[in-house]
Amino acid sequence: MASRDVVTYKTPLSRLRDVAIVIFLAFYLVWTIMPIFLMFVSSFKDLLAAFQLPPVGAFSKIGLFFDFTPTTKHYYNLFYNLGFSTYLLNSIAAAGGSALVSVVLGSMAAYSLSRVDFRGKADLFFWIISTRMAPVVAVLVPLYAIFRGFDLVGTRTGLILAYTTFNLPFAIWILKGFFDNVPFAIEEASMVDGSTRFQAFRAILPLVAPGIGAFLVLCVLFAWNDFLFASIIGSGGAKTLPPATRELVQPQNIQWGSIMAAGVVTTVPMMFLGLLIRRYLVTGLTMGAVRE
Amino acid sequence: MASVTITNVWKYYGKTVAVKDLNITCEDGEFVSVLGPSGCGKSSTLRMLAGLEHISAGDIYFGNTRVNDLEPKDRDIAMVFENYALYPHKTVYENMANPLRLRGESDDLIKKRIAFASEMLEIEHLLQRKPMELSGGQKQRTAIGRAIVREPKLFLFDEPIAHLDAKLRARMRGELKLMQRRLGTTMIYVTHDQLEAMSMADRIAVMHNGVLQQFGTPQDIYNHPVNEWVAGFVGEPPMNFIDCDLVDEGGRLHAVHSSFKVALTDAQTKILHDSLREKSVRMGIRPDQISIKAGTESGVDGRIKLTEPLGGDTLVNVDLKGADELLVKTNPDFNGGIDQACTLTFDTSRWHFFSKETGVAYF
Repeated sequence: MASRDVVTYKTPLSRLRDVAIVIFLAFYLVWTIMPIFLMFVSSFKDLLAAFQLPPVGAFSKIGLFFDFTPTTKHYYNLFYNLGFSTYLLNSIAAAGGSALVSVVLGSMAAYSLSRVDFRGKADLFFWIISTRMAPVVAVLVPLYAIFRGFDLVGTRTGLILAYTTFNLPFAIWILKGFFDNVPFAIEEASMVDGSTRFQAFRAILPLVAPGIGAFLVLCVLFAWNDFLFASIIGSGGAKTLPPATRELVQPQNIQWGSIMAAGVVTTVPMMFLGLLIRRYLVTGLTMGAVRE
Repeated sequence: MASVTITNVWKYYGKTVAVKDLNITCEDGEFVSVLGPSGCGKSSTLRMLAGLEHISAGDIYFGNTRVNDLEPKDRDIAMVFENYALYPHKTVYENMANPLRLRGESDDLIKKRIAFASEMLEIEHLLQRKPMELSGGQKQRTAIGRAIVREPKLFLFDEPIAHLDAKLRARMRGELKLMQRRLGTTMIYVTHDQLEAMSMADRIAVMHNGVLQQFGTPQDIYNHPVNEWVAGFVGEPPMNFIDCDLVDEGGRLHAVHSSFKVALTDAQTKILHDSLREKSVRMGIRPDQISIKAGTESGVDGRIKLTEPLGGDTLVNVDLKGADELLVKTNPDFNGGIDQACTLTFDTSRWHFFSKETGVAYF
């Protein structure tokens, strides 16, 4: 195999470019990290301390940001007075539930679409994708009417169902690409080995694990961060973190400290999930898309 | 163990016909090779035997059981695929154990069978590796191992060694044949390589365009091809074909070409007299059934166009007068140079004659 290393030589222009890249990345880092950093720090601050800001341009007084006695009272308030533990559970149930349902149904549908030829297959596949083409807002009103008719508004089941409606086509679409890349021969070998069609399907599931992993993350992210469905379908009995946080903004009293704490509670699990599954996510997304 | 009977089997894909009215009977314990170029229907046939493909018409029997409607898992077969089809996330051991586990065999039995198979295939040291860490030959052995541990009624091999390099392929041919003899299991082996079919099989089924051309022993197919297509496909280097006129002189037929006129044997004359419908026929002769000498002597004159020394043999392309060209296989001490004259002598009794119209062999 030929070596892929290419010898490069430094020219003044390329040095300049290297410096420019570093500067750009530094700015980009500050730009991205700053809000999250402020949220973190502020969630541990008193309201007074949180609003102590150095004058504009006075970089020497930057230490003011860190000059505070940490307090966990906002978190205490969140979980003991405002019932955020329920909302957190609702969020987990809605995101996890819909991800699970979508992945189970989606992988089976994607497998069939990938393996079996039947009349109208292309049309069916297009129809499945087309359900994702309309913006959520456009279908919200009829969806609400339907959900109310079935008494699903304000229930976790309703919320899971709502997210599944939107995640399932996406799951089928992503996973079909993965199944298409698995050679038929492997499941045929499995069937000749003595497995039923369903066992053969299970035998190749590990091969599409990157796809399933990637999809699970995207699905969880979608449901976790969603505000629209959560505030309309889930309102009342199945309030999740985003609408609950929104309610902390009251006309007379914006509870900045609690809002910041709620922000942290919402962000941290997703950050860990992202870290955990980062490798899968990247290989997953490209593997499905690029046919080798 | 079981015999295999394929009766009047057809396979359609939409309107395309892949297999036409196929009839093959394979005895218990026999090694049958299905030989043909790509697209001849040989793989479809194998997949129908395995139950991976629906049989459009006709019946397949294993022993006395009709298997048309049986699932692959109920047919008690083991198949080796062209691209090995190993489970990439499982070790060699687990790959081989899979068919036994699916049948709920005990761990002891699995261990015993894998030990036997892996010793036979010389892959004992690889059992804990994953397919990604194996070479092509090792993967193929693993795939064969997975087939052996089952101890099935029937082996189905779909070009299992097509992707190996030439040297390993030559070695595997011998090993596979030996393995089949030792296990005594009926084997159906699909290949496009006539050398594989010739060297391994008890009987060969030659297929072309979905139609079975000839079914017989390797010698039979090599020495008595039923038509021009089989004659041209089997044998390396391929058979020479030239058009000849047949002229009757005093009751004996002579093959007349612009550069030679050769008398046929009594037997040949008799067969052609009885069945000939054309004045001009296609004559076929294998490159190793022509002898060649440099220089002009009595015989058929030719001119050397090209020589290809292969070490053990030398191939010589000879231009005959007229447009025809013959390929001759001779021994390596042949000393003719390019563009020199040479003399050919034929072993008339080994000639084949085919109908120019239908390609069917007279003999």
